[in-house]
Amino acid sequence: MSFAVRMRGITKRFGSVTALDRVDLDVEQGIIHAIVGENGAGKTTLMRVLYGALNSDEGSLEVEGKPVKFGTSREAIQAGVGMVSQHYGIIPELTCLQNLILGAEGGPILRNRAAEERANALATKMGFEFDWQADASSLSPAGAQKLEILKLLWREARVMILDEPTAMLSPADAGALFESLDSLARDGATILLVTHRLPEVLEHCRTVTVLRAGKRIDEKAVAGTNGSELAQLIVGGALEASTHTAPFRPGAPVLEVSNLSVKGDRGEMALKGVGFQLRSGEILGIAGVDGSGQRELFESIAGLTKTVEGSIVLEGKSVDALSPSDRIAGGMRLIPEDRHAQGVVEEWSLNENAALGLQRLSPFARGATIDGSARHEMASKIAERFDTKHGGLNLPMSSLSGGNQQRFVAARSLCLDPRLVLAFQPARGLDIKGTLSVYEGIREVCRNGAAALVVSFDLDELLEQCDRVVAMNHGRMHEPPADRSKDRDTIGRLMVGAE
Amino acid sequence: MIWRLVAMVAGACAILAGAILVAHQSPIESLTTLIHGSLGSPTAIAGTLRESTPLLICGLAVFIALRAGLFNIGVEGQLLVGACSCAVVAVRFPGPLGMVLGVLVGMVAGMVWALPAALIKAYRNGHEVITTIMLNNVALFLTSALVSGPIKDKTQSDTATSFVAQTTRLPFVYKTQTVEINCALVLGIVLAVAMAIWLKKTVAGYELQAVGANRVAARFAGISPQKVTVLAMSISGALGGLAGAVQILAYEGRFYDGFSPGYGFDALGVALLAGGSAYAVLPSSLLFGILSKGGTALQIDGVPKGITTVVLGLLIFIAAAIRYRKVTSDA
Repeated sequence: MSFAVRMRGITKRFGSVTALDRVDLDVEQGIIHAIVGENGAGKTTLMRVLYGALNSDEGSLEVEGKPVKFGTSREAIQAGVGMVSQHYGIIPELTCLQNLILGAEGGPILRNRAAEERANALATKMGFEFDWQADASSLSPAGAQKLEILKLLWREARVMILDEPTAMLSPADAGALFESLDSLARDGATILLVTHRLPEVLEHCRTVTVLRAGKRIDEKAVAGTNGSELAQLIVGGALEASTHTAPFRPGAPVLEVSNLSVKGDRGEMALKGVGFQLRSGEILGIAGVDGSGQRELFESIAGLTKTVEGSIVLEGKSVDALSPSDRIAGGMRLIPEDRHAQGVVEEWSLNENAALGLQRLSPFARGATIDGSARHEMASKIAERFDTKHGGLNLPMSSLSGGNQQRFVAARSLCLDPRLVLAFQPARGLDIKGTLSVYEGIREVCRNGAAALVVSFDLDELLEQCDRVVAMNHGRMHEPPADRSKDRDTIGRLMVGAE
Repeated sequence: MIWRLVAMVAGACAILAGAILVAHQSPIESLTTLIHGSLGSPTAIAGTLRESTPLLICGLAVFIALRAGLFNIGVEGQLLVGACSCAVVAVRFPGPLGMVLGVLVGMVAGMVWALPAALIKAYRNGHEVITTIMLNNVALFLTSALVSGPIKDKTQSDTATSFVAQTTRLPFVYKTQTVEINCALVLGIVLAVAMAIWLKKTVAGYELQAVGANRVAARFAGISPQKVTVLAMSISGALGGLAGAVQILAYEGRFYDGFSPGYGFDALGVALLAGGSAYAVLPSSLLFGILSKGGTALQIDGVPKGITTVVLGLLIFIAAAIRYRKVTSDA
């Protein structure tokens, strides 16, 4: 049996973090091989090493039996290895043909007619149809995906890496995509598929490698495994007892969401009829792989995204018609996912940032004016709450490290008596101690009658810190059965849609 | 880092000296003429302040938009429609009523002129630079057409409106035979101070600057970037219109074809040079006023007036480079 790819002992460190720890990967030629694992397990990093976009610190690499060392992706492409990343590299202002040949024009002079002929030949072979002179902006997500695959064929890639190729596709388009991948594999190409979705693995792949926390956990032939076993391998076999054991007595409903549907960035239905209830004192964790609709849920509750249908009720009052700022006035608080882009103004001082989002509330505002001394006092309280390390409240936010910015943003959302805390990865970039103190802070406001909705990609964190955990998959919310409400395995399977 | 800056300033001075030498003049002598012509006598100073006034108000107009992250290139057009409509109203209603109405109408006209750009930016994400440039052209030719026909004073040969009555004019705070200082300057200074306080002390000012500094974070903070965009452009347009109205009522007395020598465009430099503080628009506009007035003196001396534009260009260039250096060293 001949191997298209053999990776041996690949180690990659980013600062003090080991993203890949002596990972081995063997992929036979002419098959579809899946790489699965949780967020941050190292799947994409491993593929980027294979593609030459990252250089590994240790380890060796063989492509089609020849030892290689890629300094850049250009060298990888020359050796026949190509990758379609999660975020497509299509430039919307260029035509489809220009996108296709970009970077592989084959000489300083463009020969459009010859290029179009070859493009058509490739497309016909794959059963695709393209208007080559149309702007790439007119492509649907599925069309863009197909164009990305043609880009690999144009470069004569024999090993093709696809990172979450179906993330943006409808089920029908995904089916069509796998048909073309199957035919490519039959013709001798080797396909590496990075995915979160177990049904895809079980249905379309021959072999699968499981990564967890930067380590290769196992490699299986798909025929010899099942969804339940894979889910267990992905999230880690041992079931840990939840550390949060305080008796939980929920009070009156704080948030009632019913039949909520929301469109995503690309116009696809990202949230499909989600409904749930959140009671006073309760912390609800939302598990799920990235892009399952958590972002849309979070933003629509905050009033930042329009809903297609459904209703959101906060403490008995409908907020459907309320602006984000009215919802904040009603007690809603956000810990946004991306503190850098969404949570702070980097060039502003800590003082000024202390009021961001709360600027209309007392004591920050007195009528239409800002109370500077109250703001200063609040800023120092916010900084103290989770021990934010800073050199002075008048220094710009950009002088803080990411973790300290996160502490500041989290503490800010918990001040001024919140009723509902919407937290998207509240412990992002924090060490264990910081993580625990932020969750303890959330717990404390909940003890005082608030409720919290926590989105995280780390299932263990949710199981430890939340009263209840539900899973999102493909825009739908799945609640585990009551007797297995904190069962890691059950929720792990709900997350990847293996039920 | 500081050496690069010194080198840059020295380079700029060398380019300038070279340019003056090319015009067959002595650089030192030219500098003396420039300073003398703009600051050398009470009359010269008064002239400089007069020149600074529209630059100050227009500079504030550009400045407030910049704080909201908008680049209002359209102040020139807003000034023209403000001046033109003010002149028409002030001629029709002599006396204090005409003064008040003229100012109000000028501001509303400027605001209305900025509104299409504001709405297109806010709700269709059309770039305000493009739309305001286009609106400048419309304003220029529209006012030119009006003053050539419908609102032209038929009793005279100039393409201009009639003069506004003396009773309708803005009063002088200080006036002798040779020196005049109009209350328009005081108005401009008050506006600068008021704007600085408004931005620092009010929730609305805070929200406007939040949108300018980080639009996404502002949205997550419950601020509507759309509303702020419309608000900031409206204030900006109203100030542009006010600058035009003040120009009529304080100094020019009538609207004519070719009314503005490009105050609205120079104001872009005024605001950029001022950086992040409304107070800084005061010295910045004064500097532009000095160079403009001194440039006229240079011209009489045989040095092309354009040389002062070179100076301004270099100043803005250096200011931008300093600011850029700060940004990159933070990162």
